[in-house]
Amino acid sequence: MPSSRRAFLGTAATLLLAGCSSDVLGLRRSVRVAVSWSGQELRAFHDVLAGLGTLSYPVEVVPLGDDISTAFGARSARRPDILMLPQPGLVPRHLQDLDPMPDDIAPLGRARLWKDLLVHDGTTYGVPFKTAHKSAVWYRPSVFRQVGVQPPTHWAEWLTLNRTLSQAGFTPLSLAAGDGWVLTDFLENVLLGIAPPVYTALAAATSPRPSQQPQFGAALRLLGQLWSAPGLLAGGVKTSLVQQFPDALVEVFGHRKAAMVLASDFAEPVVRSFAADPHDIGLFTFPRMSAGAAAPVVVGGDVMVLTRPTSDNARDLVRRLAAPNAADPWISAGGFLVDGRTSGYSPELTRLAEQLTEPGEQLQFDLSDRLGRLGDINGLWRVLADFLIAVGGRGADAVPDAVDAAMDDLRKLEEG
Amino acid sequence: MGLQTNGLSLEVVGREVTGRPVQGKPRRPAGPYLLGLPALLLSCLLLVPIGVTVARAFTTRGGFGFGNFAVIGDPAALHAVGNSLLWVLVAFGTVVVGFFLALLSNRLPAVSAVLQPALVIPFAVSVLASGATFRMMFDATPERGTITALWTRLFGSSPVWLGPGLFWLVLMSAFGWTWLGYVMSLFRAGLDAIPDDVTRTLTAEGVKGWKRLRALEIPLLRPITGVVTLTLVIAAVRVFDLVLIVVPGSMQQSADVLGLNWWRATTSSGDTGRTAALGVVLFAIVAAVGLIGVRGLRRRRWAMPVTVVRQDPSLGRPKPGRVVRRLGWFIGFAVAVVWIFPALVLVATALHSPREAGLRGWWSPSGLGFSSFAAAANVGLFRALLSTLFIAAAATAVLLVIAVPTAYLVAWGGLPTRLGRIVMGVFVVLAVTPVQMYAAPLRDAIDSAGLAGSRVALALVHAAAGLPFAVLLLRSAFASAPPALVSEALQGPVRQSAVLATVQRTYRPALVAVAVLEFALVWNDFIVGFLISGPGTTPLSLVLWGEARQFSTSSGPVAAAATVASVVPVVLMLSFWRTVVRGLTTGSRP
Repeated sequence: MPSSRRAFLGTAATLLLAGCSSDVLGLRRSVRVAVSWSGQELRAFHDVLAGLGTLSYPVEVVPLGDDISTAFGARSARRPDILMLPQPGLVPRHLQDLDPMPDDIAPLGRARLWKDLLVHDGTTYGVPFKTAHKSAVWYRPSVFRQVGVQPPTHWAEWLTLNRTLSQAGFTPLSLAAGDGWVLTDFLENVLLGIAPPVYTALAAATSPRPSQQPQFGAALRLLGQLWSAPGLLAGGVKTSLVQQFPDALVEVFGHRKAAMVLASDFAEPVVRSFAADPHDIGLFTFPRMSAGAAAPVVVGGDVMVLTRPTSDNARDLVRRLAAPNAADPWISAGGFLVDGRTSGYSPELTRLAEQLTEPGEQLQFDLSDRLGRLGDINGLWRVLADFLIAVGGRGADAVPDAVDAAMDDLRKLEEG
Repeated sequence: MGLQTNGLSLEVVGREVTGRPVQGKPRRPAGPYLLGLPALLLSCLLLVPIGVTVARAFTTRGGFGFGNFAVIGDPAALHAVGNSLLWVLVAFGTVVVGFFLALLSNRLPAVSAVLQPALVIPFAVSVLASGATFRMMFDATPERGTITALWTRLFGSSPVWLGPGLFWLVLMSAFGWTWLGYVMSLFRAGLDAIPDDVTRTLTAEGVKGWKRLRALEIPLLRPITGVVTLTLVIAAVRVFDLVLIVVPGSMQQSADVLGLNWWRATTSSGDTGRTAALGVVLFAIVAAVGLIGVRGLRRRRWAMPVTVVRQDPSLGRPKPGRVVRRLGWFIGFAVAVVWIFPALVLVATALHSPREAGLRGWWSPSGLGFSSFAAAANVGLFRALLSTLFIAAAATAVLLVIAVPTAYLVAWGGLPTRLGRIVMGVFVVLAVTPVQMYAAPLRDAIDSAGLAGSRVALALVHAAAGLPFAVLLLRSAFASAPPALVSEALQGPVRQSAVLATVQRTYRPALVAVAVLEFALVWNDFIVGFLISGPGTTPLSLVLWGEARQFSTSSGPVAAAATVASVVPVVLMLSFWRTVVRGLTTGSRP
């Protein structure tokens, strides 16, 4: 025993010595990049970093998930140097924590939609890294063929389609209500579809009060129509509430328990890797709310910002990541859109990318990201989860009371 | 020497000194105090930040006051306090269950042979790993979740285990799985130490069953109960990473505990006063529970109180009958299988490809292979393992070097009684102090010293955090030294080295226990590294934190990372468990 223990200790010591490069000791100042990505997205980002070639400084990726805004809270030097903010709406509220972007890439932050969020007093505080199309619905064409229906082109058609599917014995929808942003995406699409000016006004307001907008209530009522249909949700409301967005995708494409799922472009790699049949994948964009209206397109994305005080290394990394070809490894893995670019994607994503660049579309930036505290996990996310519990599967009769309750909750949040 | 009177011849024989030798003030050379200096310096890493936190908590804009404590009136914080108290109940429940398991294994001796290793493994595995395992088992989808699949097969449909209310069951299962082995082992050691003749006498007098339990076992085990309850309650109040991993985002708010609430408050607001107040409240709860728990220990002047005398094997109990043995073996085997099951789920999940692990449960025959391990390695698992190995080894080494002389000083270094009590009191309070009490100022201090991200700094913080417990444990080992030896040692510095020399032989169990527990603790740590250096410091937190947002579709890599990270602590614990238990229930007489 002593000899084997000695051998063990010896091996451990050798390993330690081998591993004790200053890197492992954490003595070299690395550039820390905080991201909200996880799973395949995170691995794809590691591929992007690997594709940048050899850098003269170590890079550390810090996955923070939905708690990424906590990166602002730390006043410490351990704060990440670069944040990949999935809520660009946070930029205007944290200007004092941010350093401007290097001049050579600053124009990237002045693109349409992004400008309002990223440019202040002529200074650019962030540039988009990744654009998200949040008005996409993935579905299984085989089910639609079996029932003999087409993807809906406007809202009423969607409601009818759901009924038809239910009657034919298919569960229409899988909902990832465990991720609050899936619920807000749903509502934002409806609101943008019926009342673009209200949407814009709320997004621009310094202290938004959605509860005072009748159209906000109207959007909730419409959403209630969809969600309240009995048998709509795979697994019912309870399962939906603990379901994260990849789970919902697996329910549709892996376990074939539902026909459709509302999920952004970045769902693509999950859809493809978990699909039971790789040819049974379809995509339609959120239908118009009425026959004449423009189709709503809610845009999201991850923007790169530099925390203050920044370093030359961090600036260098941002520059490299903003280069046109930097994201190529991720684009080829799927589920990645670059602002303004329409080529190089899969057919599904190409359609989304084209819709994002077409003039005349009803494009707006994600509302919940711009509502501040109101739009986050304890705000609109919570209200919509309660709303779903109140209406889910209970039929149209449950909707009016639930809308009133939700508007009351919002009022309380606005006052609190 | 002899006396002779009236034809009687009296022989006078010296008697060995058996108690602490003389009342009164011995001469106290200053030398031994130096032994405590390193510990004092190391403890400042905690003491100063704690002071800063307390000061911040009581500093309001208008000067000193309780203004910051209004934060507790906040419904969310109140809810978190309630949940934390609920966790204390869970801890008590675990102690009771563990006690009865120990009783069972004591009455049916064959049980423990199979049961012991099965119970030790969960204790060695980190909270993150066990949390992840239970979340996988209770997944709402019958294709993936073991329990859900089983329930659906039996009853047609299954409740949503991770949904409202029921997530408590999952949390409690994970907590119990981790701790029952520890509770049971300690109680079992205590029960085994009860001399058989006492038991037999009581039985002969007709004291049986519950009566015997009340009259004999419970009072005799009081000191062990104290230690166990203390450990468990502290673990329960400190619950942090378990909730982060097990509870899905939408339920996080209802599962909020004080530690988490503090963390979210520090990260979402810049108001240091309010968050400091939250930390102080958390600390007050732990300290109150700790002090109640320690009351039993106090009689022995803060020592870990338990003395386990190994029985003379020739006086063993009569062998139980064949039926009892068979029954014991059967029950032991059954419990062991149930107990080891989550670990099997983890390993089996890790052995599936990420796709198959995300689609189907561990029992699926398709997609077997090592690709999940490759996926976990892709996000930097190996580098994180190396740095964890470094941090854990460094922290353990520093701890041992500093704790041993300190414990010697406190036990036999001749500190004035009052000072000794104060020192031990400070150590008890430090041992129960939650990380939240010192994390924020400490992190700021490390940053301003330019050591941000330094693994050396983190190892020192770990050593400082582990020091109080190590000193308490070692002190009682020293305190149980043969009095003759000690009385010699007190006579002069020359003899002190003799006492130290016997440490190697006599107090090894306590030393091993301290080393093994500290290493495993640091290896498995999430919260200290997370709060002081940020996420990504340890292998599991790196991978799990990264994957948790898409938990079920990442089951494969998560399970692979958890498996790899668990190998070292499990092997360590399994090989040293007997010694660790002897060290914990210390006073192991030579």
